[in-house]
Amino acid sequence: MSGGVFRIGVTALNAAQAGLITTGHNISNAGTTGYNRQRVDTSPQLPELNGGGFFGRGVSVDNVRRIYSEVLDRQTQVATSQASFYGTYSAQISQINNLVADPASGLSPALQDFFSAVQDVAASPGTTTSRQALISQTGALVSRFGALDRRMQDLRSSLNREIAGSVEGINTIATQIAQLNGRIATLQGSSPNAPNDLLDQRDQLVMDLNRIVSAQVIRQADGVYNVTIGSGQPLVVGESTLRLTTVANRDDPSRLDVGYQFTGTPTAIDDALLNGGSLGALLSFRTQSLDATQNALGRVAVALGQNFNAQHRLGQDLNGAAGGDFFSVPVPAVTPRSGTTAGVTAVVSNVSALTASDYRLAFDGTSYSVSRLSDNTVSGPFGSLPQTIDGISFTLASGTPAAGDSWLVQPTRFGARDLALLVSDTALVAAAAPVRSLAPTTNLGSATIGSPVVDASTQPPLNPALRNTVTITFNSPPSTFNVVDTTAATTLATNVAYAPGMTISFNGWSTTLAGNPEATDTLTVQSNTGGRTDNRNALLLAGLQSSNRLDNGSSSYQSAYSAMVSDIGSKAREAQVTGKAQTSILRETQAAQQSLSGVNLDEEAANLIRFQQAYQAASKMISVASRLFDSILELG
Amino acid sequence: MSIRVSTSNFFDRGVASITERQSALLDIQQQVATGRRVSRPSDDPIAAGRILDLSQAQSINKQYVTNSDSAKSSLGLAEQSLQSVVASLQNVRATIVAAGNPTLGDSGRATLSRELAGMYQEILGLANATDEQGNHLFSGFRGSAIPFSESSPGNVQYAGDQGQRLLQISASRFIPVSDAGSEIFQRIRTGNGDFAALAGAANGGTGRIGIGAVIDPAAWNATGNPSNFTLRFDVSSSTVPATTTYDIVDNVSGNSLLTGAAASLTGPYLRTFTPGSALNLTSQGAEPPFNYGANVVIEASPADGDTFTLAQSPNQSMFSTINNLINALRTTTSTAAQSARLSNDLTAAAANIDQAINRVLDVQTAVGARQKEVESTQNTSRDIAVQYEATVSGLRDLDYAKAISDLNLQNTLLEAAQKSFVRVQGLSLFDVL
Repeated sequence: MSGGVFRIGVTALNAAQAGLITTGHNISNAGTTGYNRQRVDTSPQLPELNGGGFFGRGVSVDNVRRIYSEVLDRQTQVATSQASFYGTYSAQISQINNLVADPASGLSPALQDFFSAVQDVAASPGTTTSRQALISQTGALVSRFGALDRRMQDLRSSLNREIAGSVEGINTIATQIAQLNGRIATLQGSSPNAPNDLLDQRDQLVMDLNRIVSAQVIRQADGVYNVTIGSGQPLVVGESTLRLTTVANRDDPSRLDVGYQFTGTPTAIDDALLNGGSLGALLSFRTQSLDATQNALGRVAVALGQNFNAQHRLGQDLNGAAGGDFFSVPVPAVTPRSGTTAGVTAVVSNVSALTASDYRLAFDGTSYSVSRLSDNTVSGPFGSLPQTIDGISFTLASGTPAAGDSWLVQPTRFGARDLALLVSDTALVAAAAPVRSLAPTTNLGSATIGSPVVDASTQPPLNPALRNTVTITFNSPPSTFNVVDTTAATTLATNVAYAPGMTISFNGWSTTLAGNPEATDTLTVQSNTGGRTDNRNALLLAGLQSSNRLDNGSSSYQSAYSAMVSDIGSKAREAQVTGKAQTSILRETQAAQQSLSGVNLDEEAANLIRFQQAYQAASKMISVASRLFDSILELG
Repeated sequence: MSIRVSTSNFFDRGVASITERQSALLDIQQQVATGRRVSRPSDDPIAAGRILDLSQAQSINKQYVTNSDSAKSSLGLAEQSLQSVVASLQNVRATIVAAGNPTLGDSGRATLSRELAGMYQEILGLANATDEQGNHLFSGFRGSAIPFSESSPGNVQYAGDQGQRLLQISASRFIPVSDAGSEIFQRIRTGNGDFAALAGAANGGTGRIGIGAVIDPAAWNATGNPSNFTLRFDVSSSTVPATTTYDIVDNVSGNSLLTGAAASLTGPYLRTFTPGSALNLTSQGAEPPFNYGANVVIEASPADGDTFTLAQSPNQSMFSTINNLINALRTTTSTAAQSARLSNDLTAAAANIDQAINRVLDVQTAVGARQKEVESTQNTSRDIAVQYEATVSGLRDLDYAKAISDLNLQNTLLEAAQKSFVRVQGLSLFDVL
């Protein structure tokens, strides 16, 4: 009898000890990240039938079990991945966000100072000081474009480094998970109970992985985790891992993509497949925000440069020569995919249609197609080049394209970086117009001729006869007139019916006639020789500031830039707001998970007392059994 | 049932809520410190874009104000020069009146001619005026060229062009800030502005012709008006007293208007001349019908064969006009015929100078009107600048009252979060074990 009491006492003592050990383990790991509290499962031992009935045989310790919910853990993983995504996105975009609207370092003040300088040239076209000021302000504008671009280029380089770091992190975690898979499989194979702490460690690694990239776990029957990342790319299979690596983008080698390192050449994984987590944020920040912003800034630079050059070439400089290019405007960058041998050139033929997107020109063996990468709109197929899409003309320059050839065309990516000032001599600022009009004072009538305007829709290149002297002579009666190019000695028109206010256009200029002419009166358009204080072209150049030359005539340079700033602001704000929401979701899921699995020290304190008392009770039982045994001995 | 809370989560949540409050407090503190509600685009993306657009509008508007100042300065200089030109021309006009005094001898007129030569140089100097940068005011686009230079006495060449410089003073207004010298000093109609009445150089009589007038502009301007006539006189001494008759010849066709046939060089003619009465270019009596709507008065007695021409006014520079006047005053005048010629020259010169004064006054009025326009446009631009400032401020600047109250609220919330955290963390069952 006393043997049974002893035995029961010992089982109780063991159970209480197990409880104390586990409570102690819980208390020690209360601060350990990823730790799930553990409980000792006990059950009554099989009773024994002994005459009068079934007598209990005490308690048995069945298992040490971690309090864990796979569902809650999964929810926390997803929330972690999302919160990490928006946190990283927000941190990245805030760098551009702070940069673009800064009153001192943004583009707007430089752009405004530049146009003010053009206006000052219009106000005093004949002075060197105003012209010098324009050249200085243009230098400031060009370097502002460059500085903004450099900042974004820095971000691009640091993105490459961070992507490489993320890939390294993913590989390390993957290796650790694979190792744990092995150890857990071994341990579980030899024992019916689970190695709780190793399971915790592995779950924590999955959580860490989710912080870098969205990862899913497929739990195998033997407890092994197979892990996939993004939208289903396998990373860990049993005890082996597929190593990730960075690989240069095949269209743009300066850009690192994430790839699989199989034997031989690594294969790139599409950015879109790697969503969630900080790596997902880096990749989508690069395509959605950084590329778009750098292109949008470059587009303003290219548009301003081209428009200004076009108008400048219609003017006349202080030396009396036709205006040259004021800016050096970068042409679209064309990068052939490796293996493509045929050469393609692209030029911006219509600034107004230009977008901030990159393009991919592809050849499938018979025809070409052009995809706009910002929204994947495909134009084509075209049987041949050249073709003009969105104001960009694509031309085959050399070689014969083969099927599968492809070229990345970036019309605006380097616009801000490569815009440069060409004019350094103040005399070369073309503030004047190349032609002027004259109504001789010998005319008896009152006919007047307006200042001739150089027709910008057909020029440049300048009409070679633009500066020729053209004489309009009224016939008798003066209801008609003849037009003669006296320089080339050619008659341009005869017996043109005269109507006051009419517009005439010849040799690339147009002007208006008004008043009442008399027979033989003449009006003349001639080269603007010596027109040092003429400011007509400067006025037209200044007018570019408020004319809508972008987005098919709906945006000015400033409003295009403002739209870019608004866009960044919206994205940054969206990332902040969504990030906040995701953080509170994460907090909720963590609270739910911790509510189940976390250690509560007060609870453990109570457990400590409980198991202490149970231990004391069990000890008492043994002491009672011992005394019972002694009483029997005393009988003898 | 109550929710189980893990101890570390309890800590984390407490710390997180304190961090959140701190970050909100920092945001408001920054807004209060900068005075700006929008300091980064993400604070209000739409407002940030609009602020940039408005900053360009502000900058352009500011440029309009600057351009207006520049226009005012240019116009002011031109206005001053023109005023001096008018004053000089009025002196010339007064000298003409003085030269008409019949008691004045050749030497007296020579003195006046020297005075006129001085005025001539003065006007030439004013026509070549420069601005503060050394560019000529009245040379059109050729600011560095001296506009008027005298190759020989009275022969002034214009080296400028007819360009007119404009400045932008508002979104839609380009105001002219310069006037070409040719338009001010050269494009001046002679005579009465419609036609010039001149005595023939070989006239031997004492006939003095007035400047004439167009009384019916519609008839004068009608197509078919040759605008070039000769009045030819015949004095028939076969009667006593002698009868003076005249013919009106259309110089374009060579026909006499009075007969409709080819004009004859010898009289008598169909119309009888009465000194001091108007000679009308309108048919009367049995003459073939014609009506050119003009007349001219001839005083005293033209001699037989004397002619007077009425021809459409050409343009003549004021320098030529003054030079002609100087030459007329230097010519010896002793006979009655010479006196009549001098008188005719003075009348023509007076008419031409009046035209010149009117021309300069016209330009001066236009310049004055532009000055006023610049002034009022500049005021508008300044008003607009205030508007822009208010709009930008509304978009960008902070509502301090609200911000300060938010700041206090966040402060209180943070304090509450900190204190409650400390209080709650102080409780542990281990303390009482």
